Amino acid sequence: MENKDLQAIDDAVEKQAEVLVEQEMERQNGNGASDRAGEKPAMKVKDLYFSYGKNKVLKGVSLQIAAGKITTIMGANGCGKSTLFSLMTKNLYPRKGNIFLSGKNIQNLNLKEFAQQVAIVQQYNTASDDITVENLVAFGRTPHKKMMQGSSEEDERLIEWAMEVTNLTEYRNREVSRLSGGQRQRVWIAMALAQNTKILFLDEPTTYLDIRYQIEILQLVQKLNREYGITIIMVLHDINQAITYSDYVIGLKDGQVLVEGDPEEVITAESIRELYGIELGVTKVDGRKFVLAV
Amino acid sequence: MEETKVQDAAKQEAADLSAQDQARKHKKAAKAAVSFIVMILLLAALFFAAVNIGSLKVSFSELLKGLFVEYNENVATIYDLRFPRIMISMLAGAAIAVSGVLFQAVLKNPLADPGIIGISSGASFAAVLITAFAPALFFFTPIFAFLGGVIAFALVYSLSWKGGLSPLRIILVGVAVNSMFTGLSSALNSMNGGNMSGVAAIVNGNITMKTWDDVKTLAPYVAVGLVLAIIFTGKCNLLALEDKTARSLGVNVNAVRIVISVIAVLLASISTAVAGVISFLGLIVPHIGRILVGSDHKVLVPFSALFGAFAFLLADTIGRTIASPYEVSASIIMSVVGGPFFIILLRRSKKYGK
Repeated sequence: MENKDLQAIDDAVEKQAEVLVEQEMERQNGNGASDRAGEKPAMKVKDLYFSYGKNKVLKGVSLQIAAGKITTIMGANGCGKSTLFSLMTKNLYPRKGNIFLSGKNIQNLNLKEFAQQVAIVQQYNTASDDITVENLVAFGRTPHKKMMQGSSEEDERLIEWAMEVTNLTEYRNREVSRLSGGQRQRVWIAMALAQNTKILFLDEPTTYLDIRYQIEILQLVQKLNREYGITIIMVLHDINQAITYSDYVIGLKDGQVLVEGDPEEVITAESIRELYGIELGVTKVDGRKFVLAV
Repeated sequence: MEETKVQDAAKQEAADLSAQDQARKHKKAAKAAVSFIVMILLLAALFFAAVNIGSLKVSFSELLKGLFVEYNENVATIYDLRFPRIMISMLAGAAIAVSGVLFQAVLKNPLADPGIIGISSGASFAAVLITAFAPALFFFTPIFAFLGGVIAFALVYSLSWKGGLSPLRIILVGVAVNSMFTGLSSALNSMNGGNMSGVAAIVNGNITMKTWDDVKTLAPYVAVGLVLAIIFTGKCNLLALEDKTARSLGVNVNAVRIVISVIAVLLASISTAVAGVISFLGLIVPHIGRILVGSDHKVLVPFSALFGAFAFLLADTIGRTIASPYEVSASIIMSVVGGPFFIILLRRSKKYGK
């Protein structure tokens, strides 16, 4: 009697699982057709609207973030790039439209699930005065832990790795407050790396830094992408840095995508005029494009 | 050749700095460990002194014998009269100090103190209401005090929220909420002829007449509150980050804030219901604690509990000896010491003293 019931339940579950698998395959195939040849996007933004009160900030933004690439979001102040960044990192919720992370609507992921797949380096950061580099980097393991759980071997390994990649191993016992600005920014990147995600967001990672540290941070970001295959999405202010370090740029204006594509192609005197409202010369040195941003 | 020399020198320098860092770290750990040991010894010594201060005196061996082996009249009297008061001092001291640590973490404000920001006076007003109008519900005083504390905290939090929490605005709003509830309690007392001993005890922090029953009321709530506080120390550490950064680590910052606030209000309110309003204890103890053991809550919370117990018991013991046979309540001692300390903090702090 009982066995029979269990059997029936088993059958039903199996059937449902089959249906789900079929649906999933269908959906993926459907997506594949509309994507660029064979590439599955890491993230997908569909028809996104957002407003602060009556002030409409985003008016129907749709875009795709290619997996394994460096994508830079750029645009003038107030173009909506920070809002887009906040929406894509679950710090704001869209009024209309959806954001997908490998096919899943991020609205259906809780913060912890999201943090297991996406790491974010915020623009402005603070830490307590006496926390050491190692302890701060260890915070990056938070989304992979249950409450009160100690650190596992996996945690230790990833913390070591994150400090090594960012050249912080020798500073591990130093208080973060005693580091230079560039080193401090590397600590925040290391914390995000310890999350061990395939996607890394950075919000204006070079602000507050002098030029030497700016380049150092951007080279680090490039290394993370090239050597570890991490998909990078960042906001940058400097156009030349965006051209040099990105595989793909997305230019926003008045809450809409104005230009997007390979920076060498889409950044022109015209697109800059439209994006920023200023006439700047564009030149080529050694085959690389430079905007005369002075 | 020259280049490798420079490189070697740089490497050597880095290694030296790294060694220095490690030495610093060890020194700090040693300092924290010593602080813990010294604090435990001080607390034990003070406990024994407090037992013996007064008209009755017993030796240490007499005390142990009287407590555990055979009846001794002096020890029995001390056990009934002084022990409850000592226990309440220690429990309330630990609770208030930890409550201060938690409020400081939640509000990102090292000046937050349950007494100063009005949580204790909200709790005491609720307790006074019960004592005055529904003495039959006396047993539930802690619950009502807790509700009063929650209301006070909700008021402070919502009224000081203006697109963010400014540390100074919290203190200012807290001072206003505090004086409102203190005024209400005093008004209630005056309207009833001004001689309700229960009310006076709560408002003035008078713990002279406490019995073992009061200890039994206080102990379980404090135990629960302290255990919860220790469970949430990891989350307190994460609150030191920017809210956005904590969120990006998968922490639901708002939910964590609410839970930790409730624990902090619980600890402050319950001790207020039994021991009265104590200001500045939740400010001074965590502040010195941070200097001694650092700001990692996993260490700071237990240390503050010990230190808080010590500080309150010290204040109470001084209070009952300084002008014997008259008594000065621990809350008055704390105010006299804490006021100047608070001003020093305000003046020395770069962030909050502007």
